Amino acid sequence: MSGDRPGIDTAIYGFLRRIPTGVLWLIVLVWSLPTLGLAINSFRTRDNQRGSGWWNVWNDGGLTLENYDVVFSASTTAGLKESLLNSFAIAIPATVIPIAIAAFAAYAFAWIDFKGRKWLFIATVSLLAIPLQVALIPLLRLYNFGSHWTIPFLEKTVTLIPDFDLVNTTTAVWLTHTGFALPFAIFLLHNYISELPKDLFEAARIDGADHFTIFWRLVLPLSIPVLAAFAIFQFLWTWNDFLIANTMAGTNPDAIATTIRIANLAGDFGRNEHLLPAAAFVQAFFPLVVFFALQRFFVRGILAGSVKG
Amino acid sequence: MQGAILTGEDLSKILSTLILITVAVGASAVLWIGTNVLFNQVRSSWIRFNALAGYAVGFLLLLLLQGNRLLKPHGPDSDSITRLGELLWTPILGGFIFSALAVILANNDDKVQRLWIASGSGLVLGGFIGVRIAEHARPELEILPLLLSTIIFGGVGAGIALLRGNKPIQAALFGGALGWLIGGFGIPELGDGSALESAVAAAVPALAIGAQIGLSANADVVGRARIDAKSRGWIFLVPALFFVTVSLIAPTLITIWLSLKDQDSVDFVWFENYGSVFTDINSFDVGNWTNIFTSSLFLLGALIGLAGLAIGLVLRKRTGDGFAAGGPAFAPLMVAVVMIVFGVLSVLRGTIMNNLWWVFTVTVFSTGLGLAIAVLADRAKLESVAKSIIFMPMAISLVGASIIWRLVYVARDTSKSQTGLMNAVWVELGRWSTGSGIPTVLGTLLVWVLVALGAAAIGRSLASRTYDKVPLRVLATAVLIWIAYRFTFNGIGGFRTNSAGETVPDTIFFVQNQPFNNVWLMVILIWIQTGFAMVIMSAAIKAVPTELIEAAKVDGATESQVFWRVTLPQIRTTIGVVVTTLIVLVMKVYDIVKVVTNGNFGSQVLANDMFEEAFLFSNTGVGAALAAILFFSVLPVMVLNIRRMQREA
Amino acid sequence: MKSSFPKLLALLFAFTLIAAACGDDGGDTSTGTDTTTSAVADQGITITVTGPERDESEAGAISEVLGAWGDEQGIEVIYLGSADWEAEINVQVEGGNPPDISIFPQPGKLADFARDGHVVPLNDAAAAATAENWSEAWNVFGDVDGVQYGVPVKADLKSLVWYQPARFAANGYEVPETFDEFTALVDQIAADGNRPLCVGIESGQATGWPFTDWVEDMVLRQHGAEVYDQWVEHEIPFNDERIVSTMQTVLDLWTQDNVFASSGSIAATAFQDNGQPLVDGNCFMHRQASFFSAFMPEGTTFGDGEGEVNVFYFPDINGDRPVLGAGTLAAGFNDNDATMALLAYLSTPDYAEARQVSQATRKGGGATLSGFLSAAIGQDPSVYQPLEQSFLNVLETAAIVRFDGSDLMPADVGAGTFWTEGTSAVNGDLTAAEAAARIEASWPQ
Repeated sequence: MSGDRPGIDTAIYGFLRRIPTGVLWLIVLVWSLPTLGLAINSFRTRDNQRGSGWWNVWNDGGLTLENYDVVFSASTTAGLKESLLNSFAIAIPATVIPIAIAAFAAYAFAWIDFKGRKWLFIATVSLLAIPLQVALIPLLRLYNFGSHWTIPFLEKTVTLIPDFDLVNTTTAVWLTHTGFALPFAIFLLHNYISELPKDLFEAARIDGADHFTIFWRLVLPLSIPVLAAFAIFQFLWTWNDFLIANTMAGTNPDAIATTIRIANLAGDFGRNEHLLPAAAFVQAFFPLVVFFALQRFFVRGILAGSVKG
Repeated sequence: MQGAILTGEDLSKILSTLILITVAVGASAVLWIGTNVLFNQVRSSWIRFNALAGYAVGFLLLLLLQGNRLLKPHGPDSDSITRLGELLWTPILGGFIFSALAVILANNDDKVQRLWIASGSGLVLGGFIGVRIAEHARPELEILPLLLSTIIFGGVGAGIALLRGNKPIQAALFGGALGWLIGGFGIPELGDGSALESAVAAAVPALAIGAQIGLSANADVVGRARIDAKSRGWIFLVPALFFVTVSLIAPTLITIWLSLKDQDSVDFVWFENYGSVFTDINSFDVGNWTNIFTSSLFLLGALIGLAGLAIGLVLRKRTGDGFAAGGPAFAPLMVAVVMIVFGVLSVLRGTIMNNLWWVFTVTVFSTGLGLAIAVLADRAKLESVAKSIIFMPMAISLVGASIIWRLVYVARDTSKSQTGLMNAVWVELGRWSTGSGIPTVLGTLLVWVLVALGAAAIGRSLASRTYDKVPLRVLATAVLIWIAYRFTFNGIGGFRTNSAGETVPDTIFFVQNQPFNNVWLMVILIWIQTGFAMVIMSAAIKAVPTELIEAAKVDGATESQVFWRVTLPQIRTTIGVVVTTLIVLVMKVYDIVKVVTNGNFGSQVLANDMFEEAFLFSNTGVGAALAAILFFSVLPVMVLNIRRMQREA
Repeated sequence: MKSSFPKLLALLFAFTLIAAACGDDGGDTSTGTDTTTSAVADQGITITVTGPERDESEAGAISEVLGAWGDEQGIEVIYLGSADWEAEINVQVEGGNPPDISIFPQPGKLADFARDGHVVPLNDAAAAATAENWSEAWNVFGDVDGVQYGVPVKADLKSLVWYQPARFAANGYEVPETFDEFTALVDQIAADGNRPLCVGIESGQATGWPFTDWVEDMVLRQHGAEVYDQWVEHEIPFNDERIVSTMQTVLDLWTQDNVFASSGSIAATAFQDNGQPLVDGNCFMHRQASFFSAFMPEGTTFGDGEGEVNVFYFPDINGDRPVLGAGTLAAGFNDNDATMALLAYLSTPDYAEARQVSQATRKGGGATLSGFLSAAIGQDPSVYQPLEQSFLNVLETAAIVRFDGSDLMPADVGAGTFWTEGTSAVNGDLTAAEAAARIEASWPQ
């Protein structure tokens, strides 16, 4: 191996150096294949989808917008527009409200001293492990009847939460999402907020700022990347949720979410499964918009100049 | 669909939704900010704080009484506006009385006067409220239970105070007041009593509470600071705790309760439901555990693991740290762990084993791939394109993803063309490697070029004396050599030799063939969750201070050293968050299994089992037991993880 | 005021609880939020109907027909199909939020709800209507312990074999009249180097159900209606040797040489993917229910001509012509007049005709099969296509009609182990006896 002159070995080494980047793009390629197949199939007829793989699209003799037509116009369960509106009415409050509540709590767990906060934090985050199915029936009863408790031995029933007649409304759906989102939201936000540089807080305290001001003026602006990250996930989880929307408001045609509409489009025994690729893209459109819109908040250097001591 | 995109009906619907949300959010925000502002007064103006807090207490107390229809008057047929007025005017007016009292007390430092003022006004207010209590809620006092409960509660209060080393008198007053209320309103039948009786029932505890407040000294600067400090934690936490209690804690307690009862939630069966889960052959099928030691995955994994261990031990002798993350022993050990776990879990079958397998595989691969992509993309051109594509699966619902992948895995009779990507590739690979056309020649060439590249990579590491990556490159090259050998001599891919000795195409039933169909299901979740891991870790990597990285580079660290020694330690707790979240999330997975196999072919998982038992088969007890098992089995992992993160932070 | 503030709050809370307690004892419930009830009443009566049928055309037809009826009565009727009906209805009932009416594909589920008091018996008018409009053989499925709860609204005929008459003729095969002729035909086709049967049992969450249909049909043929009833009622164990031998019969019939499975294995082949190979001639016969017409490739026509598809009755053994059927039953969750009136209407031939017409139009009209079938008495046969009329004929002339057994068994079995363990047996992971023993073990006590 002669080191001085550029030869075949240098070329190979140069190639090897690019392997990590190559691996990245290889993963990206593999990741995109199923989605690509879905995208192509969404433009193919039922018999073509069933008869040959999507890479044979060249032999189909043209693409069709028929699937999208059906997805846009189907109206038996709900119209597209109505169901989109309902999904927004669920997903927006279900994203914004947990962010606020979790940010308060994460700040308290990170920067306010009180007895037992470590254990209270662990207890709160542990609730992540609860399978949300267990809460469906109790919550449905809550929205339906309110919450009443008969005190043991005294035989007196007390009303803990009155019946606000929320069942079958989008409000019931986003309230449910709010509760389920909090453990993860607190966990994620706390991880970020607790690592903000201590000096900032001490300086602010010396200036006489109270917790409310610190939270509002200091913590929220500095936490924008993590708030954006959580907002992305929470939006698309609630947007794509079927179980909760169906349980809490599935029998009210005025509150049908897009996921329910699409599940019904598939038909009995998956008779119309050929519509699902098109439907999946319509469904994924808004989460992607949210992702692209919020991605610009993941920027380097928001904490520039404040190295953790 | 014609004409305007949004009709008037839609607009009014949007408007009403907006109003609802604005009112709900606005009211909550006003309440929360108001509370913050209120407690800001503790330090700035003690009098103002007392005035406002007194008003709030009075208003809420009376509102609750009025809202529960306990106070007269209550017109039965009035319209809703009048009713709203009735509901509100007593609290609004009453609030001023409480407010005035609080101000008087806050202005007075004389102990005796405070006691007289507070207990006296307590007696008057309590008596007045008692007289105003509606007839249907008036108790018929029974002296014995009344006194008994007062003494018990008072005693308990005093006892607790003594145990905590405080003076017992105030706690006794508080407990006694509570006991009197329970004895007065809780125990007897309501509706038969006189106004005098309800006045007595309400006035005595009010007097006691008044006395208790009066006995405590007016807060000095230290006391005010304590109120200020103590209140903040609760103000910031209460909204979250409320939601979490209602939607998670209460249902969980109910579920645990139900798991101890029978199918119809009538009789207690204690732990029978749990027993039936653990004795079910479908939960645990570990009869042929000896097969582990003949599983080639396990044996090969053990071999690689031993090699890694050896490298690590030798290095430790020479440098003191043989097992550092990113060091030479790291890669073989990781590969070995994965292979051994796969070897073991592909032999031990059952729902619970499946869950363990899922948790291990998806957590390890999603975190690993997510981290790798976040790091690699961080310095790549077109970063956002790469990240968007990896993120894309997250935007597609789990059910949609399952349908995509069913399409990827589908097999078709070999007489027809394959519509599933995996089988198409597999069958084509089989055709190439067993055929003799141009693709076969090109393929052979390609695999051996890859082998040569692998060898070159090893050579480079050796030449430049960076031994860190040698073991990984040896492993990768070994795999390449095996593939190249198979391709050239035996053939690799989807083919079989039929009874006539001809080579014919053959497909794989990815979803049906046990036990590795489980892995193919896990791939779906990995495909989705890698985007999740990537986004969170990417945000964390961006937050690593640039100064640290620059400093390391100035010291001559290579890219990979910067990653292992600077970036990784900096984002450690974030990795902890991702791992913990993924463990829990995977433990609860059910949609994918439900849609793709519904638990057939040995692919059942706990959450789907629970869903079926609870919602399809109406076996409430067993369903609840499964939920509880799910919860309690992840709990220790979570607590340990979070504890460790807290210590590290 | 040092540190007493939290205690004051606690006392306030305790007082509220007790105050609320008094409120309840006074006969009123909770706070004054009863302003909402009057608002609902102003909008008139709304009836919500749910069910598992959710296709654009199926659900659209139901909505249209019920809506038209509602307009006449001044009632708003909403139909909502659900992709996850089986789980959803349980949650809604437990959560206290059931619809007014639901359409049950499983009489077993209806019986469970009836015994638990969730669905209500029909009132006299509705019971009389269904007694008049449906034969006893169908009404019995809505009868729980002697009380009529359910109204039959749809019938499916399962004992059918789809085939291509022209292809049969070209190969010199004849439609079998007895089961022996059927097995002989299977052997002959296989001997000729072709595949006699198309079979696929994959159906997503319901994978395995086509196997249970085969077993049920064969139990009915081999052992008669009496044993069938005992089996479904669990009066004989599931792993009774007669049942095991029937499962074995089915498995023996489904050998590699006899079956074309378009995905290469029976367990991996989606049941709805069997239409194309039948039309293509990859196989000659496909035993599947009347509604399978909807899964034939687009443009398939039905009849005896070249390339057309027809059906024959899945032959019997003892000459008793048993028929395996299925269908749906509507039942109400409250006994409001409007609910009961709608249930009565659902039983009428008027409903069946209107739905058939609407559904056929939505499927494309002309000679298209709607996939809907009703056995209500007194329907105008002309609303049905000839093939559908022949289905009706089979239903009417059958001496023995039995409902799909897996829909009558407890859900643990009928929608659980019978599917899953049956699939394992088909896949060769378990023997018939092992599968039957596991199903028996899962039968709720």
